[in-house]
Amino acid sequence: MNIYVCIKQVPDTETKIKLNSDQTWIDTSGIKWIVSPYDEFAIEEGLKVKAQFPESKVTIVSAGPDRVVDAIRTGLAMGADTGLHIELPETADHFITAQAISKALQKEEKVDLLFCGKEAIDDGAAQTAQLIAAAMDIPALTVILEAQYTENSVQVKREVEGGTIEVLESSLPAVIAAQKGLNEPRYASLPNIMKAKKKEVKKVSLADLGMSESDQKVKLKNFELPAPKAAGRKLDGTPAEMAAELVKILHEEVKVI
Amino acid sequence: MFNFESLLFLIIAGAAFTYAGIQLKNLFLLAKAHQGTEKRCDRLGERITLTVLNVLGQKAVLQKKWIGILHATIFWGFLLITIGTLEQFLSTLIPGVSFEFLGKTFYSGLLWTQDLFTVLVFLAVLGGAYRRLIVKPAYVTLNKDANFILLFTGLLMISILLMNAFHIMGAHPWYENSLPFSASLSEGLLFLNLDPHTALLLGKTFKWVHMLIVLGFGMYIPSSKHLHVLAAGPNTFFQTIGRSKGMKPIDFEDETLEQYGTAKVTDLSWKDALDYYSCTECGRCQEVCPAWNTEKPLSPKKLISDLKYNLFRNKEAVLKKDYEAVSDVIDHELTSDVIWSCTSCRACEIACPVFIEHTDKIYDIRRDLVMMKSEFPSEVQTVFKNMETNATPWAFSADDRDAWCEDLPVKKMNEVSSPEELDYLLWVGCAGAYDDRNKKVLRSFTRILNKADVKFAILGKEEQCTGDPARRIGNEYLFQTLATANVETLNRYSVKKVVTACPHCFNTLKNEYGDFGGNYEVIHHTQLMADLIQSGKIKPSQSLEQKITYHDSCYLGRWNDEYSAPRKVLESVAKKPVEMKAHHDQSMCCGAGGGRMWMEETLGKRINVTRTEQALETGASVVASGCPFCMTMISDGLKTKDHQDTVLVKDLAEILDDSLTD
Repeated sequence: MNIYVCIKQVPDTETKIKLNSDQTWIDTSGIKWIVSPYDEFAIEEGLKVKAQFPESKVTIVSAGPDRVVDAIRTGLAMGADTGLHIELPETADHFITAQAISKALQKEEKVDLLFCGKEAIDDGAAQTAQLIAAAMDIPALTVILEAQYTENSVQVKREVEGGTIEVLESSLPAVIAAQKGLNEPRYASLPNIMKAKKKEVKKVSLADLGMSESDQKVKLKNFELPAPKAAGRKLDGTPAEMAAELVKILHEEVKVI
Repeated sequence: MFNFESLLFLIIAGAAFTYAGIQLKNLFLLAKAHQGTEKRCDRLGERITLTVLNVLGQKAVLQKKWIGILHATIFWGFLLITIGTLEQFLSTLIPGVSFEFLGKTFYSGLLWTQDLFTVLVFLAVLGGAYRRLIVKPAYVTLNKDANFILLFTGLLMISILLMNAFHIMGAHPWYENSLPFSASLSEGLLFLNLDPHTALLLGKTFKWVHMLIVLGFGMYIPSSKHLHVLAAGPNTFFQTIGRSKGMKPIDFEDETLEQYGTAKVTDLSWKDALDYYSCTECGRCQEVCPAWNTEKPLSPKKLISDLKYNLFRNKEAVLKKDYEAVSDVIDHELTSDVIWSCTSCRACEIACPVFIEHTDKIYDIRRDLVMMKSEFPSEVQTVFKNMETNATPWAFSADDRDAWCEDLPVKKMNEVSSPEELDYLLWVGCAGAYDDRNKKVLRSFTRILNKADVKFAILGKEEQCTGDPARRIGNEYLFQTLATANVETLNRYSVKKVVTACPHCFNTLKNEYGDFGGNYEVIHHTQLMADLIQSGKIKPSQSLEQKITYHDSCYLGRWNDEYSAPRKVLESVAKKPVEMKAHHDQSMCCGAGGGRMWMEETLGKRINVTRTEQALETGASVVASGCPFCMTMISDGLKTKDHQDTVLVKDLAEILDDSLTD
């Protein structure tokens, strides 16, 4: 099988986000970049399918500036075979990303399975997996908790709001977007980290795909940080007094009741 | 000159020595086939002194009093009696030969001590049997090997006494009075009414009995735990000198290396082999092991014997150097749970009378599990990732590393214009920087430093985890990434002296950064506080009325031999310091060392609770600590025991800070 795993490089979860000077994007200096955690489930799932069908090849795909090659190498260290880096600007939107990935994959070997995380933890948009599927005109199975594979089909359990589980079956090729719980991503062994340094990462530019930055649909205008969280307030008195005080605050200050 | 008897002896002894010799040669080759490297021939003078003290002087054995005295008696007796055995061999080969030529006075003195020790050894054997069969201490395993050794040692002594007694009865030699015990026995046997000829014949018979048991014993030793009589001496000689020791680094630049850590017993070194040859399963390590004592699968004693039997099982393949065919070191006996149970408290190594180094083997097996196989407790993965991205085992931003001292007069290195004027770099450590409880310790300590006019600065955001957790857990690669980064930063500021409140940082900076080009004078904050008190730079009032007990940190105590500085600080403040039942080098670990701080404790009882119970037994209302992890573990233990409101855990810096008037 030809397995592709699309991953996004995101700031580490502990990053203190700051804005750049003209407030058009975040200040990326000093940020520690990681593979978005849901995408780690996607990589692990790709590797598990390869273990089930040993003839498979796993390719890590990431779109973005040069720094994303590090994220691709992380996937290669976990055990993927090869990498594909699509050059996109820092501020690319989900549409252009999905278009570029879909066009780039048309030039690659036939896609059997394409894994993504259910969302990236930076913007939390949860769009790219579906947009890629739409662009490639193949089924999208999102928020997946469990999957069983055959040569040409997949049966999945999908989490729906309210804790309900949907069981779906699809033919291949298909896009599968991983939810936490799908698997436990492995920690790369040292020999695999060493080997990953020598694996091929192919580079593709927008021009190579017949696209340009003007294909982007969303234009970013201005960023601002949320107001700092106010300190908590502690109510004193008997339970009855505190309840009365709380109701008063909710009614008069917060105006929710 | 030769007769039938000497010929017969020559054949039997020749066969026995050949058999034992072949076995010993194999043991030597098996050790040599280990692939790990060790260099242990430096500091010859100290090695010789240590060997004389501990082998001839039995120093380490005598750490345990009664069994130590029994062992020393048997050992010294063995040396003296072996001279007699040699004489027996020679006189059998060449009739008439004896050591009389050494001078009559000397010879009769030798005989007298031999006679005395024959009786003493026999009594010691009875004592040993009583201990093994009647007292049965939990850390001693009852096995055939041990009983066999005691029985044969006892029989050897009986045969010597009977040999001498019958010889005296038949020949009445001039040295009769130099063998008082044998002579008394001879008198006691007079009721047998033997003629001199029969008595001499019986004397000779028991000489043969003795010699044959000796030869049999010689053949038995190489395959038994009694091998320690040959291996323990060399093992004492090749020990790690001094208490402080760092882990051996792996050279990741060496491209010929394909295996990191120990997957097979042969990945260890010849010194490790000598370690397991030296083990006589006395159980002292097991008796003090916090993992074993809280019902975890790790027994340091069994670890060592499992490694030995693994080697013996793979003997054929190892001798052929067919390493592929050697079975894995992790098997159904030595499971990964054994390896992960270790807190690296080093109580086993301190207790071992033959200087076996258990922790190195555990670390090296962990290296294979982590770096080669990615097999480790799953909660550790987050720890590694935090260390990789944010240079701390906890999930905090590197940007927040200096947030703890924002409102304090604490300088950062990059704000100091002339770093050479500083007395110390204060290494804050991840606990000091991020753990809310430990931040208070650092705040107290900086107040003390400022009061004492100590000039110091911190690295601030430039500090990274020392890598200690990664290294103890087995991720040497991650450790070295952090270590080299820190060394680069420290050297950039030409740092000479470092003080830290974390014994784990202390140990790593002091004993391990040298391998990466970082050579600093590193002291623990309790050492600096003790100095400041002694030199009068701070004057605490001895005003603390409460009963207070100090819990030794393993990495300050057993790993770096510092027991007095924290106690000096405590005594300068507290009127009633009390010791727990286990303290100084016999202290019990809190359970957090060896990376256990970041692992769930799912097997057996909780170590921290057991240690907390020992603290509660003293009736102290304050437990003093010098380590952030000990503090966390004892605090958790107090919560479990529902004593969180009645007993406080405080760092010595906080205790001292409280006692200083402004």
